[in-house]
Amino acid sequence: MTRVSENSQTAAFQYSLGKAKRKLEDLQLKGASLKNITKPSDNPVGNVEALSINTRKTENDQFIRNIDFAQMHLSIADKSVEELIEIISKAKEIAIAQSSDFYDEGIRKNVSNEIIQLKNLALSIANKRIGNKFIFAGFKSLTQPFDASGNYNGDKGEIKIEVAKDFFIPINLNGKEVFYSQDEIGDSKLIENPLEEAQEIAGDRSPANVSNENTAPVFHKRENLFSLLNGLVAGLENNDPKLIQSLLEKFDDATTRLITLRTKVGSIMNTVEVTKAKIDSENLDNVTRRSKLVDADVTELFTDLTRQQAILDTTYKSSKALLNQTLIDFLR
Amino acid sequence: MADLLGIGKTGLAVSKKALETTSHNIANANTDGFSRQRVVQTSNLPILKSGHLMGTGARIKTVERIEEKNLENRLVSSINGQSTSKERLLQLEQVESILNESENEGLNQIFAKFFNAFRDLANQPENETIRSVVRDNASLAVGDIRRIRGSLDNLATNIDKKLESSIVDVNQIMNNIASLNKKIASLEALGDMTGDFRDQRDMAIRNLSEYVKVHTYLDNKNHFNVDAVGIGTLVSGANVAELQVRPLNKDESPNQMAGAAAIVYKDKSSLDISAKFKSGKLGALIKTRDQDIFQLQKEIDQVAFNFATAVNTIHRQGYANKELKLDPETGSFSAKNGEKATGINFFQPVNQVDDAANLIRLSDEVNDDLSNIVSALIPNSPGDNRISLAISKIAQAKIMNDGTTTLEEAYLKSIGRVGVQTGKTRIDLDQEEALLAQTKSLKERITGVSIDEEAANLVRYQHAYEASAKVLKTAEEMFQTVLSIKR
Repeated sequence: MTRVSENSQTAAFQYSLGKAKRKLEDLQLKGASLKNITKPSDNPVGNVEALSINTRKTENDQFIRNIDFAQMHLSIADKSVEELIEIISKAKEIAIAQSSDFYDEGIRKNVSNEIIQLKNLALSIANKRIGNKFIFAGFKSLTQPFDASGNYNGDKGEIKIEVAKDFFIPINLNGKEVFYSQDEIGDSKLIENPLEEAQEIAGDRSPANVSNENTAPVFHKRENLFSLLNGLVAGLENNDPKLIQSLLEKFDDATTRLITLRTKVGSIMNTVEVTKAKIDSENLDNVTRRSKLVDADVTELFTDLTRQQAILDTTYKSSKALLNQTLIDFLR
Repeated sequence: MADLLGIGKTGLAVSKKALETTSHNIANANTDGFSRQRVVQTSNLPILKSGHLMGTGARIKTVERIEEKNLENRLVSSINGQSTSKERLLQLEQVESILNESENEGLNQIFAKFFNAFRDLANQPENETIRSVVRDNASLAVGDIRRIRGSLDNLATNIDKKLESSIVDVNQIMNNIASLNKKIASLEALGDMTGDFRDQRDMAIRNLSEYVKVHTYLDNKNHFNVDAVGIGTLVSGANVAELQVRPLNKDESPNQMAGAAAIVYKDKSSLDISAKFKSGKLGALIKTRDQDIFQLQKEIDQVAFNFATAVNTIHRQGYANKELKLDPETGSFSAKNGEKATGINFFQPVNQVDDAANLIRLSDEVNDDLSNIVSALIPNSPGDNRISLAISKIAQAKIMNDGTTTLEEAYLKSIGRVGVQTGKTRIDLDQEEALLAQTKSLKERITGVSIDEEAANLVRYQHAYEASAKVLKTAEEMFQTVLSIKR
């Protein structure tokens, strides 16, 4: 026969009561926060995964901001190039009309004023700003890139930003590629592996190299848009149809170049759009996964809660009989 | 008839003693560590009288203390196991709460925001306001790294304090055991009962085993010995080998913190025996301090060091966001007032990994002047964002553990490990508590007081007492009868 003593009774009672209450407390905490994980040890692996999803989310939010920013810049660049194409085609129309001997000197003088206006329009586009930032100045974004005679003071910097993890897109066109010539490629060297390349960059960029790059004489070629328009003005003012005729082909070249640029900008915008959609869907996946890890399953939680309450109830009831009576009660 | 009186008297005495013992049991029904006692009675030696063997009543042989040595040992070791896990869980939960990001923002989010600030700066490198956002986020990151390291340091120091107060308790318990040993030995030499003192000694052993794993035995001189398992003798008879805590200096301390507490024997204070404590409160405290917390301290130092170094390495390559003049003689650039144009640190450079998390802070240049937050790779190019981009890419660069993991992975790994350790300890504790409750219950079943049983005994012995009194009365009546004959 197993002996039962007062202390063995209470020890057993306290243990089962403590266990039932602790479980209920844990469930209550989950119910109050509606979270499955309230501390790392609740689910170490899940917690770490949830934290890493948090980071992805924060990063993606930033990428979306970057995309909005890139889209604004790209669409302004696109619009500007579109306007330039219009200006050039208008100038070309005039040039075609004036390349014959049909018009006389007086008319050509008048028409030349129109071209000067077009040139000024082109110049204002060239010096376009977003906020205080000149969009066609390369890296020298706070310096007005073009002076009144169309000389370029910017550089060939291609500004890139990150729109998805490790995916960088350029958001600007530099003044040279837009207004000067086709063979100008932006200076787009990115730091791919920051720590290893840091040394390399330092080597590349010895003071001598840097100073050359910066103090090189301002690039000035006949093919640039401003000299093209200036040439047309000169042809008109000098009443020289031959000269005007010789410019026609260059107008075609310029148009082709601008269209190519516009296509480039357009394709970048498309990519950005696709990237944005991708990030949105990734965010959705992340939210779903995180919720699975972190959020409490309400149905399951309340089932557990009810069951645990029932257990506690039974514990109380079953202990009542044991704790409240002894033989003494009957020895009267 | 004189025999009858004598026999009746013995019965009365035995019943009275039995009633006393029963009431002693009832009185101590709720005394911690009390073992019930039982009167062992036996019949007196019979005498041979006129060829008959005649009984001469009863006597108390002994008052026996119900003992269960094996269960007591199991109980002591269960207490040791349970208190190991309990203390370890208590400490680990504090460590865990330092790293808990589930609810609020933790270092991981702050790092993400830091790199995002650089992405914002890459969008608008001309913008001074964004530079101040970058600086604020950097301050947050620095602050949180320091908070984590500081809280860990605090925990370690608190453990040192707890070790110190625990050792005071341990010494007190050991002295208590030694004085009980002395009392028991002297009383038993006189043949007295020592049940209650033994109960107290068992209780003291149980208390001691909360701190350290103990082994008890009687040596050949019949001295009661208490050994700390794997360490040495704590109590031998009436002698105590007291312990004490000695603060270590930075080089000799196991967690590289000045003032870390080492446990030593009082009379051999040069020998650090801390590492020999494997279980009990002391073992749990030492393990948490020297392994779990220390590892995290080292890891957060490494995070701080690699983070600051990586950002600085890139940041130094760029040129400050202000007008810079080329000096034609040296071919280098300089700003007005002789300020640095390039080679500017973002964080104050940290020279060694050790303690880096406590030392990390923004450089004076960045603190004093926002335009010293570098974004451009070439001078005089406010639109150049390549340095900012490169810094934001550190988030994905494998700069930890010899280039195998990213900052985030390394930090999350630490959190994961603490979570696993804490979770495991919680399960251990659950099991050990169940085991302890079971052992306690088993032991109490045998040695504990049952009120029912005692109530029954009370009735039984009272009846015996009444009957013995009746015997005396009968004897008296018989005397009366005999005396009345003479009348």
